[in-house]
Amino acid sequence: MGAEGDSSETAAVAGEDVPVNIRCSNGSKFAVRTSLDSTVSAFKALVAQNCDVPADQQRLIYKGRILKDDQTLVSYGLQADHTIHMVRGFAPPASTNTAGGANSAASDTAAALAARTAAPTEGGNIGSAGLGASLFPGLGLGGLGGLGGPGGNASSGLLGAGLPDFEQMQQQLTQNPNMMREIMNMPAIQSLMNNPDLMRNLIMSNPQMREIIDRNPELAHILNDPSILRQTLETARNPELMREMMRNTDRAMSNIESSPEGFNMLRRMYENVQEPFLNATTMAGDAGNNLGSNPLAALLGNQATAGGQQRDGSTNTSTTGSESATPNTNPLPNPWSNPAAGGTQTNNAARTNPSGDARPPPLGGLGSLPELDRMLGGVPDASMMTQLLQNPAVSQMMQSLLANPQYMNQIFNLSPQLRAMSDSNPQLRELMQNPDLLRQLASPEMMQQMLTLQQSLLSALRPQSNQDSIQTAGTGGNANNLGLEMLMNMFGGLGAGGLTAPENPNGEMHCITFLLTAQLSAVPPEELYATQLTQLQEMGFFDTQENIRALQATRGNVHAAVERLLGNMGQ
Amino acid sequence: MTIGSGGSSVVVPRNFRLLEELERGEKGIGDGSVSYGMDDSDDIYMRSWTGTIIGPHNVSAELSLISTVHEGRIYQLKLFCDKDYPEKPPSVRFHTRINMTCVNPETGVVEPKKFGMLTNWQREFTMEDILTQLRKEMASPHNRKLVQPPEGTYF
Repeated sequence: MGAEGDSSETAAVAGEDVPVNIRCSNGSKFAVRTSLDSTVSAFKALVAQNCDVPADQQRLIYKGRILKDDQTLVSYGLQADHTIHMVRGFAPPASTNTAGGANSAASDTAAALAARTAAPTEGGNIGSAGLGASLFPGLGLGGLGGLGGPGGNASSGLLGAGLPDFEQMQQQLTQNPNMMREIMNMPAIQSLMNNPDLMRNLIMSNPQMREIIDRNPELAHILNDPSILRQTLETARNPELMREMMRNTDRAMSNIESSPEGFNMLRRMYENVQEPFLNATTMAGDAGNNLGSNPLAALLGNQATAGGQQRDGSTNTSTTGSESATPNTNPLPNPWSNPAAGGTQTNNAARTNPSGDARPPPLGGLGSLPELDRMLGGVPDASMMTQLLQNPAVSQMMQSLLANPQYMNQIFNLSPQLRAMSDSNPQLRELMQNPDLLRQLASPEMMQQMLTLQQSLLSALRPQSNQDSIQTAGTGGNANNLGLEMLMNMFGGLGAGGLTAPENPNGEMHCITFLLTAQLSAVPPEELYATQLTQLQEMGFFDTQENIRALQATRGNVHAAVERLLGNMGQ
Repeated sequence: MTIGSGGSSVVVPRNFRLLEELERGEKGIGDGSVSYGMDDSDDIYMRSWTGTIIGPHNVSAELSLISTVHEGRIYQLKLFCDKDYPEKPPSVRFHTRINMTCVNPETGVVEPKKFGMLTNWQREFTMEDILTQLRKEMASPHNRKLVQPPEGTYF
């Protein structure tokens, strides 16, 4: 059994692992190493690690026989290097959950998702969650994974977000500082935080901010200093440290204040810096009614609020008032400190924001769609977005998120509409779980393209988008229709997405529609038809261009393409 | 791994021929839409075989993305190669219930009279050919819209 399989998974230790080929019904092929003594169900789990078909949907066929879960592989006479066919069956009705083992991974990504939504949360948690929240809208929402983008419009586009259950998740998150810490520990986020260029981009994208920074170079220094961000992050991970830091800055503030001229200095500081900041940030906040609409809103919003207090001469009061658990640990707001010091104030910023909206706080960058076009209006800076999208850290993060099929599952499971849709349309689910597709989605070019598309879509949509129709659950009923429509769009090729959009009150749906339409039409045919192309080549059609033409004409149907190719040859 | 020349000059003996088919089945050579293998590896005559056909989606359905009755289904068949194979065709019988013009609705036997490949059998034809041809047949206009018995029922 010396054969070397090229599979990479960590197979069971049982000595006699042999390579077995899996051939999917779509023509793709891969190898796994397994012990022939293992049961079929164990083998399916192994296969599930190597493809996007969950074990309970796999139907394995070998030598014309369907493998039964409780049998062993050897009982079917399977041997090394043999090929098992795999067909995707339908999931057992009850199981919308992915396999148990996947849960931890899923919760990671869920946490990442939640992090974005948690940003403007109203939770009174002064712990690390609060701080995390301050980081996320500020640094994150704009930049995080490119999902936020300026104003989060990209995010809604990318993930078709506005998932109704986010509110739940958000609550969960605020109640669970550990989760937040986990998120902060995610390498992707750290690398994002450590990237001064990205930060600079974010800050400079706001004209008012730029002005302020131009006038106050020392501020630019602070904001551009990656070490400060890193420090913030460190602090965020450790609530003790954070509290201590806050106390320190409090003391420093008191010292300054007690010195002659100190208070005036503070006031000058406020007038020169904080007020413009406040204006810059709340303006966007007002317009978007959403912190996410301005990547800087929360980051600076907390300082702004802090400054406001300073001016009022208040010394040790917290605007959170009833929400503050122990008044003693409440820090003095400090306009100079790095964002960590003002962390808790994010919440204030969020609520002083004249939202007037009775509903729970806007879902961060993944805001609901009606907001989205407002946001878009507020943040028309496409070039900034472009920059963001080209940032390697961002795309890296995107990839790490999107390359995880569980993540998509999570999204699907989160949204009843989407779930209904995917249940009624297995193709869609398959599509969304296709790692290749997702990888392509994550490519910067793609995202850029989508942004452009999204903008045009939104401008078409704006007149009739109902500002108050935040994702209501009632739309589930027409999900089936939408699903169909969607599939039509997806496969009908380009442009169609725009047509259905106006008929569709449910923004997130056509976002996805749109996205997939865009995706399918934008993918180069070589990639789109990669498997079919290999098939054709295996059949002996070596002219790739000719093959692509044939596949395009037949929309990827190999048989039809072959007939076409043969027909061409005959002529 | 060259397949027998298929020309008329060399006549591949029955056993070699069946071994060749066995290997193709085990290694999954082919377009992946059908699978087949021997039932009893101890049978030196290699007579009894099982095949599966993965339900096709036909061309027009793919364009408009409407699932066909067969799509996603797996059909199991029994093939019996008597000692005169491959001079004579094997007998082919559906194990999984299917509603199809060339299949006897009572027994599941593929009736040679209604399935051209068995009537006009040539010794170059293989069981894989039979299975793929049957698969094509499922997608043919007169078959693809027939109401099918519930999945998982057998003759």
